Amino acid sequence: MDESKIIRRIMNDMKVFNVGELNFMEVCGTHTYAVSHSGIRKMIPSNITLLSGPGCPVCVTDESQIDAALEMINKHDVILVTFGDMVRVKGTNESLLDQMDKRENIIVTCSPLESLEIARKELDKEVVFFAVGFETTAPLIALAVKGAYENKLNNLSFLICLKLMPPILEKILAVKQKKVDGIICPGHVAAVKGATYFSFISKKYGIPAVISGFEALDIALGLYYLTKQHTSKDPAQFRNLYKLCVNERGNKFSEQLIKEVFDIETSKWRGIGMIEDSALRLADKYSYFDALKRFNIKINKSLVPQKCECKDVLLGNILPHQCNLFRVVCNPEEPKGPCMVSGEGACSIYYRYGGDD
Amino acid sequence: MDKRIKLHHGDGGKYMSKLIHELFYKYFDNSILLSNNDSAVFETIGESLAFTTDSYIIKPLFFPGGDIGKLAVCGTANDLAVAGAKPLYLSVGFIIEEGFLYEELERIVQSMSQACKEIGIKVITGDTKVVEKGSMDGIFINTSGIGLIENDYSSKKVAPGDHIIMTGGIAEHGAIIALKRHGIKAREKFISDCGFIYNITEKLVPFYNGIKLMKDPTRGGIATALNEIAERVQLGIHVLEHKIPLRKDVSALCRLLGIDPLYLACEGRAILVVEPSQSEKIIKCIRSCENGRDASIIGNFTCKEDNSVTLETPIGGERLLYPLDTPMLPRIC
Repeated sequence: MDESKIIRRIMNDMKVFNVGELNFMEVCGTHTYAVSHSGIRKMIPSNITLLSGPGCPVCVTDESQIDAALEMINKHDVILVTFGDMVRVKGTNESLLDQMDKRENIIVTCSPLESLEIARKELDKEVVFFAVGFETTAPLIALAVKGAYENKLNNLSFLICLKLMPPILEKILAVKQKKVDGIICPGHVAAVKGATYFSFISKKYGIPAVISGFEALDIALGLYYLTKQHTSKDPAQFRNLYKLCVNERGNKFSEQLIKEVFDIETSKWRGIGMIEDSALRLADKYSYFDALKRFNIKINKSLVPQKCECKDVLLGNILPHQCNLFRVVCNPEEPKGPCMVSGEGACSIYYRYGGDD
Repeated sequence: MDKRIKLHHGDGGKYMSKLIHELFYKYFDNSILLSNNDSAVFETIGESLAFTTDSYIIKPLFFPGGDIGKLAVCGTANDLAVAGAKPLYLSVGFIIEEGFLYEELERIVQSMSQACKEIGIKVITGDTKVVEKGSMDGIFINTSGIGLIENDYSSKKVAPGDHIIMTGGIAEHGAIIALKRHGIKAREKFISDCGFIYNITEKLVPFYNGIKLMKDPTRGGIATALNEIAERVQLGIHVLEHKIPLRKDVSALCRLLGIDPLYLACEGRAILVVEPSQSEKIIKCIRSCENGRDASIIGNFTCKEDNSVTLETPIGGERLLYPLDTPMLPRIC
């Protein structure tokens, strides 16, 4: 039987379960993208609503951190290296892309390790890697930091904006009046941290959760499992369905790298505010490579008033098209908020692939 | 020492004349060009002509399967071919940065000359400018082309149900450029599809009554081209994703880079809108060409009032296919 037939059968079987209206959250931006891109969004039974979660790294990167990156290129003339999506999101006033029109010192890369090469070539310049992401990208950033340390690349530093998944999920699930009936956990994060990293969802909050891969069939199976749990006496089961990549304890090498290079700190999430122990910062041993310290830049801790409802999209309070600005004045060409900017942002995914009709 | 292009190669004096004779006349050799007039004078036989222009600013200048020169000839010739014309003449404008290697310029001109010979198009007039070092990057080429209309489909009306044909694999040029730009070393041999479409459109002359529109999906890829067609003919389009020809290695590379092949440029492919009753014959004819052997019917027109392009995914789901709106950048994870 081919994949499309299996998926269609899974979707039909889901319709048979007598479970009423259910809200499932896919936490990871890549899942939101895969759900739309594969076309599975159109195949899901109508009693199931998929909420998007906070798992788009650039969407949750605070304005103040983008402002800090801009200050580094404007005042300190650094070469700033970062991931593609990051250049489009605005800080308080402007984005890195706005500066790219005027300057040549912003480089888009696929790999943090490229910053080492750039620093080696540009010895008379300061090079800063603007590191955003979750537990997934953290090991690679750690490897780059270690590389800078071991090779004494003293002209390289890092603006670390790495965030952690469990604290934001706890914040979402702790809101009693919100109805989240199941979670599709971020598969990539689980590959690094291990399946048990997310088992608290079922234990503490009494809802089913799955770790799922990113192919259409993986997602279909995840949704089937979450739905089926609601027919059982104890729906609060946790299941790893992504065994091809995720084991119980995670990737030891990556875990060790994260532990060695980073400490945990309290951090501000864009539009959402401070969340305790929700981010990574460089450990003391590597603090020489902290770009904020090197250029003596203070991060503004107060919350910037938001022009749109991206925050509520990220927290699963509303779907993208339920924001009043969606499609009316907010689109990928003139985005009002980060969720419309990033390729992993729920609003841009809904705008481009549909789902609001 | 390496021979390099200097400012005096573009100043209108004897060095420029030397460059024109030693390089451009040598490779673009034809009587109209060599008559050395301020304008090329030529005769035409048809009533309708097609005229187009395009500038080529690319990086890297040389890539597997082509170079900026071949692209500048094929790109403009393809614009003529999809207008239903036989490409006849080209003008070529070179804007060169001071210090550009003479040897590289010769390689580019040689490649243009070879491409011209392939379909019998002639460079009949040209221009050269050399600008100060640092004020541009290497070489820019502009080509304008004139073609003789063989299939005037401007009055043909596209109707719901009409078929859409893609002549070959998508994203092959865009993928190689992305690969080079990101400095990724790949074991697979990626080759650009940079080439002519005219060999296909020429063969389709007997079927011209069934061909209603042609377009080459260059920048923005087939997603953008299909949206432009839908907008132009004021109809919706429904595409079957699994019917879109896409090489497995190109697909894998795109997944690796986090870019969508539907938005990557083709430089030797065409989208054809055809009468459904003739589409099978047309496909057979296209497939008989070496660069058309993967041709496929990828979708059809619908009555959708919002002129949207929808894509049926291989699993039987559906999504919108939006036009390229922001620059494509690799994703984070």
